Amino acid sequence: MATGEQPRGQTLGDRLYDFAFKNRVWKSIFRSGYPNTPRNQMLAVATNVFLHLHPTRIHRTHVKITHTFCLGGLSFFLFLGLTITGVLLMFYYVPSIERAYGDILRLETDVRFGQLLRNLHRWMAHGMVLTVLMHMMRVFYTGAYKPPREFNWVVGVVLLVLTLLLSFTGYLLPWDQLALWAITVGTNMVGSAPILGEPNRFVLVGGFQVGQAALIRFYTLHVIGLPLIAAIFMAVHFWRIRRDGGLARPL
Amino acid sequence: MAVSEQAQPVSGAVRGRQRRAREEELLVWPDLVFIEFIAAVLFTITLAILSVLVDAVLLDRANPAITPNPSKAPWYFLNLQELLLHMHPALAGVIVPTIALIALGAIPYFDTSSDGQGEWLSTPRAWANLIVGSIVGFFGTLLLIFYDASMHVRLYEWVANPGKSKFLSSGELDPSFNGWPESLAFLKSLRSIETELSWPDALTSIPLGEKVLRTDLLGLPAIPLEINVAKVIVEQIIPVSTMIGLPILLSIAAWKVGLAQTKRDHMILQFSGFIAVFVILTIIGTFFRGEGLELVPYTIYSHG
Repeated sequence: MATGEQPRGQTLGDRLYDFAFKNRVWKSIFRSGYPNTPRNQMLAVATNVFLHLHPTRIHRTHVKITHTFCLGGLSFFLFLGLTITGVLLMFYYVPSIERAYGDILRLETDVRFGQLLRNLHRWMAHGMVLTVLMHMMRVFYTGAYKPPREFNWVVGVVLLVLTLLLSFTGYLLPWDQLALWAITVGTNMVGSAPILGEPNRFVLVGGFQVGQAALIRFYTLHVIGLPLIAAIFMAVHFWRIRRDGGLARPL
Repeated sequence: MAVSEQAQPVSGAVRGRQRRAREEELLVWPDLVFIEFIAAVLFTITLAILSVLVDAVLLDRANPAITPNPSKAPWYFLNLQELLLHMHPALAGVIVPTIALIALGAIPYFDTSSDGQGEWLSTPRAWANLIVGSIVGFFGTLLLIFYDASMHVRLYEWVANPGKSKFLSSGELDPSFNGWPESLAFLKSLRSIETELSWPDALTSIPLGEKVLRTDLLGLPAIPLEINVAKVIVEQIIPVSTMIGLPILLSIAAWKVGLAQTKRDHMILQFSGFIAVFVILTIIGTFFRGEGLELVPYTIYSHG
């Protein structure tokens, strides 16, 4: 089997190369050598837990930006960014109606880069709703929902709902007038459903009006419940892309 | 050895797929990984710049005693809040979004052909259907919103009374002002069908008793049900028939003129219409619903 590696003379560069990429530590982390040959490039993708969701080869039309506009990947990227900024925000935030608003004010004024952290989280959240919606449109207009990918489209619709719910539960947490009344309007919509609406609204809000019970429910759902469910559906979503034969191609 | 196994094309796993020509394929590392990396870097930079320039909004501390006017849901739910103004709350807030999501999820089970798969709008009439669906959805919804906001009444009065004000300087109504005809008052908006027509009492309160909605079986208080036919027509029958009827009419019209011939054509037509309706409802709900949710230009957060 040809590996594509050329025999090398021992120059200084080669010695440095060997020192950097052929030592025990590097090889213990990355089973393959530095990905500068086709063999190592395929191994780099196939043996890396973060990269192995990719196939090792891909059709040339699928790497054109205008085919996907990277929208699905960007949605995932924003989810990761939201997780990181979200964890940092949790250091400074207590979900209590006495403290929450003050915590946000302190975050903006007392915490170094606190305002930037909050802004990043906010804009990423809005951005993720947008990229998920646009990803859905991309998949529709490229006909990528067609067999055998029907079920993955359904998983995608579930992920769209989860994205909206994640954003909606996060909306209450700053505990300002915007948050309180947006959630009041939103949960009243749930309450308007025939017969089951009011009991459902009661469970969601934890009472008759948005207060401490609602804040702790929304917080818990926002930081652990919904992200876990979304992560599970994302795992299925990505797995199914590979199982169903990668990105859709004209037959 | 791992390589030769990994490098096998995935054909065979997918029925009907032709073997991929090797020369048509690229290696994921570096060709795809590089693009993903650049996209992530560009987005990180863009978001960082945005976050430095624009602060996330923070209004006064939450106060259940002060209701802001208008109170608005997050922007991606403002389309539903906009619907809420035109029909029964259960319909707009729960039933329509639920059915819309189920319909969205069901798309691949209706359109099972492989026409136009894997390429942007590659079927013959795809672009035409996208454009027609979007325009009809966008402007059709806009017209319906204008109708419910009595824009046609304002337009009529403006045309019928050139350069004249409706009120005298004393603040009273000008008697010579050509208003919207009284006999057509029920056409002022959707709601005026209920308020401007003289419905007989026998139709506006039909008692059905407590035994129809058996809420007592769910451990809830019993609800005595009373049917107001006028209300049901305005809040439920007209909105439901509009939301179901107009898309069907659009599909039939597109089919008759030869615009939508295949299932994929109809799918593109309806999906584009749906997206356009979603967009225009969100725009109106976000930027054009002010105090009392009247149809006026509105700056977000100006009430803060």
